Amino acid sequence: MPIKTSEQPFLTRLAESEKDHFMQAAVAKAQDAQWDKRTAARQDLGNWAQWRELAEQIRQHVVRYLPDYLEEFADNVEARGGHVFFAKTDDEAADYIKQIAIDKGAQHVVKSKSMVTTEIDLDKKLLEIPGMSVLESDLAEFILEEDDFDEPTHIVFPTLHKNRDQIREIFHNKLGYDGDNDPQHLARFARKYLRASFLQADLGVTGCNFAIADSGMINLVTNEGNADLVMAIPKTQVVVMGMERLVPSLKEAEVLDQMLSRSAVGQKLTSYATFAGRQVDGESDGPEDFYVVIVDNGRSNALGGDFESVLQCIRCGACLNVCPVYRHIGGHGYGSIYPGPIGAVLSPVLRGYKEFGDLPFASSLCGACSETCPVKIPLHKLLIKHREVMENQLHMDHSFNNVLMKGIGVATGTPAMFRMAMGVDHAMFGPLSKQAPISTENFINHGGFVKSAPSLAKGWTDVRDLPRPPKHDENFRAWFKKHKSEASRS
Amino acid sequence: MKVAIFSTCIIDLMFPNVGAAMVEVLERFGCETTLPVKQICCGQPTFNSGYVKETQKVMHNEIDALLGVDADYIVGPAGSCVAMLKEYPEHLKDDPEYAAKAQTLADKTYEFSQFVYRILHVLDAGAQLETTATYHRSCHMTRLLGERTAPFELLKHVDGLTMVPLPHLENCCGFGGMFSVKEPEISRQMVDEKVDSVLSTKAEVLISCDQACLMNIVGRFNRRGEHIKVMHLAEVLNSNVDMDRVQYIDDADLVPGGGTYANQNQ
Amino acid sequence: MTEREAFLDSLATAAKRPRHQLKDHPFKPLNDLPDTTLATLNDDDLFALAKTSSEAVHVDFQTTTKATLPQALDAFLTAKEAKTPLLPTSERFSEYGLESWRDQLTPTPSFWVPGAGREANIDTASHADAAIGFADYLLAESGTITIATTPGQGRAFHFLPTHYLAVIKKSAILSRSRQAMYRYEKAFADGSLTTSNINFITGPSNSGDIEMVLIVGVHGPLDMTYLVVTDM
Repeated sequence: MPIKTSEQPFLTRLAESEKDHFMQAAVAKAQDAQWDKRTAARQDLGNWAQWRELAEQIRQHVVRYLPDYLEEFADNVEARGGHVFFAKTDDEAADYIKQIAIDKGAQHVVKSKSMVTTEIDLDKKLLEIPGMSVLESDLAEFILEEDDFDEPTHIVFPTLHKNRDQIREIFHNKLGYDGDNDPQHLARFARKYLRASFLQADLGVTGCNFAIADSGMINLVTNEGNADLVMAIPKTQVVVMGMERLVPSLKEAEVLDQMLSRSAVGQKLTSYATFAGRQVDGESDGPEDFYVVIVDNGRSNALGGDFESVLQCIRCGACLNVCPVYRHIGGHGYGSIYPGPIGAVLSPVLRGYKEFGDLPFASSLCGACSETCPVKIPLHKLLIKHREVMENQLHMDHSFNNVLMKGIGVATGTPAMFRMAMGVDHAMFGPLSKQAPISTENFINHGGFVKSAPSLAKGWTDVRDLPRPPKHDENFRAWFKKHKSEASRS
Repeated sequence: MKVAIFSTCIIDLMFPNVGAAMVEVLERFGCETTLPVKQICCGQPTFNSGYVKETQKVMHNEIDALLGVDADYIVGPAGSCVAMLKEYPEHLKDDPEYAAKAQTLADKTYEFSQFVYRILHVLDAGAQLETTATYHRSCHMTRLLGERTAPFELLKHVDGLTMVPLPHLENCCGFGGMFSVKEPEISRQMVDEKVDSVLSTKAEVLISCDQACLMNIVGRFNRRGEHIKVMHLAEVLNSNVDMDRVQYIDDADLVPGGGTYANQNQ
Repeated sequence: MTEREAFLDSLATAAKRPRHQLKDHPFKPLNDLPDTTLATLNDDDLFALAKTSSEAVHVDFQTTTKATLPQALDAFLTAKEAKTPLLPTSERFSEYGLESWRDQLTPTPSFWVPGAGREANIDTASHADAAIGFADYLLAESGTITIATTPGQGRAFHFLPTHYLAVIKKSAILSRSRQAMYRYEKAFADGSLTTSNINFITGPSNSGDIEMVLIVGVHGPLDMTYLVVTDM
């Protein structure tokens, strides 16, 4: 599927997410578990602040000199006998890979989990070839594929929204599985099924966690080992990578693998971290034909501008795992294959505000994302920056009107207007105010509260009661004046 | 020492009790307070909504107002608003007239609990409150201001007060400024989880250093008909004070705040 | 202009930064944490940490001496009830004194054979129930073995068999992945290593994709044993 996963309006998606109680419970449980694991893994490493600075520096350096690193990497891939293709768009990338499959006469494609292949909608493109089978080999992606390409809801845990009963159902209906819903049994069944498919695969497609510029190798990390089989068995391998995913050498790849593993899954290293390129003389397995497809697809929109730091991302998903909004609306709520804070920043960069303008507003700016990011992307600040671009530069209107917000700007910047506001609000709130029921103490202290307010305050009172403000002569400034005059008398 | 009170618009408009408690506590420990009358708002409502251009005037006004009085420190009863003042130098770095003033302002501004603990060196404010309470940690005070310690240290020393840890302390309450009115569908789910967490502690009182979060959480309590008493930390420290109980702390024994959001383990 | 040049130029234009600046601004790390972390551990500390870390990732961590290595390997094959063991083609059998063990092993092992070709080697490996391989290094911090692919010990050697044991010298225990990278980079540079693939393997294959329940053994081996030869 392309970046956008849903044609439903944002509010419809939110309502659907709220009805999905399993998803909400699963996300909360996953977040809580990862909170402990991730924190422990980072504390165990020690000097976390300094490690983050190093990781940030590596990523910033690569982004700063991106064309040079891409050139170095491409030269080294070609020196090893591989091929490099630069794709400006998703279609260019997918068409090129489809043509490789046709030229090689491939009929059995195996893939390992890759967000960028989802982004360019590669599976659908390959399936246009008559007789072609495309198999996702990551367990979660395999489940989604068998469920008629259901949307992933997390960049590291794509099936977070599915429970074991649903997965059993999918395996039963699509693959004839007749065992129980025990995850171990389900996984063993998938292992056997996928193993048979691996052995007849003639084209392997992988993503790329990091591309090593000075050696022309790519670095992939998994826990299942599926990427290694994709890179071992088929005669041809196609690597699809976002154009920013480079590192200078094995040394920096090693640093980032550590940061990625600890941040994504709370492990010191994932079970498999592999550095691989085209087969060399004497070796039997591994790709004889090695293609790297380097994808822009909107990433260059971020270069040289306010959003450049989003290209530092190493796709660990930690920001999803700490996000209180993601906790409730889940991946589907965002309507992008990149959900959560990173998705709310990245999706509009890649595809614009018309498609994804709602996402930067779907944040309380709590800063948990910026705090956890292992490469120090200031995510919550970039969300504000998106809002600024929409309101100040593009003059887009977001649900309540700009005139009102600009009015607040004038009022909060003009002392005389603010004094007026403090004077009238108690009276103004009078007709709206209710006296009961009051279940709280020391909250509704000035004669009632508002349960249903118009205009800007409606969103507030849709959810919570608003205390009636004090009378002008009972507000804080009046108290302070009186307090000072009493003090001077005594 | 002279302290200018950064009252914040929410205290000015809604909660005189909090402002009064803060002033009384500060004066009790020898501060000479003034309330700059031209101050209004830190600018977050418009800035965080993307109306950055419209916020320039708000920030200018706040700087002029707060620096316009003679004071050694500027102290406010809200971690979030104080964090915004601390970010002024970044927001105004290209403003020839206000860049330097923004830095001056930021350097002398403190959140209330921070000021009491780190500048006044008060460990036990002499307060007494016979109850069971839990504390809501605001996101901006924790992550943007980097203060994770002062309120807890001060609460530990309130006589008679039993503190119960709040589960999921790390999660936002769903306020988020304009977020709460612009995205009520999401905000409601967040605040409901927060209300449930508070209820699970069986605390009688909910305490925080950010009245805006409290307005959100307790407004939801009231809507749901659930019971809770709300207190700003300043009100707690202003309860039944006996100056004989007051204890100070040496500079060397201060527990670090925890750094900025960029320097955490989590 | 080639498609590559056009692409790279377009990036430089978008970034408003000229190309070909890297040679004057090579990457210089702002700290040396990758070198200094765990740097003070002595050999015994490293061994102890390697054991703890390996066991934490569900590895069966065993030790032996060079003299008792054949018995230890036999015990592994017996424990796994191996009927179709897989061995590499490697000069390390002689280094470990395992040539006669190898030649007399029952059940008769199959080998990953240089020059036998992709299909034959993969077919052999996919029918193997237990593989015994030689690892280059063991990383104490994470319990990771590192292995460069060779003609006699291919990529799939480590992934297709059901059970897996890696033989490793105690003197090849390194503190962290950085130390392994230095050695591989040096070997590439001096020509002593030519390979297309380096595996860092940290315990058996696993997944949490179904309700975050940890499942050990998804695509790769179901279990993993590290056998450390303490006097080498």
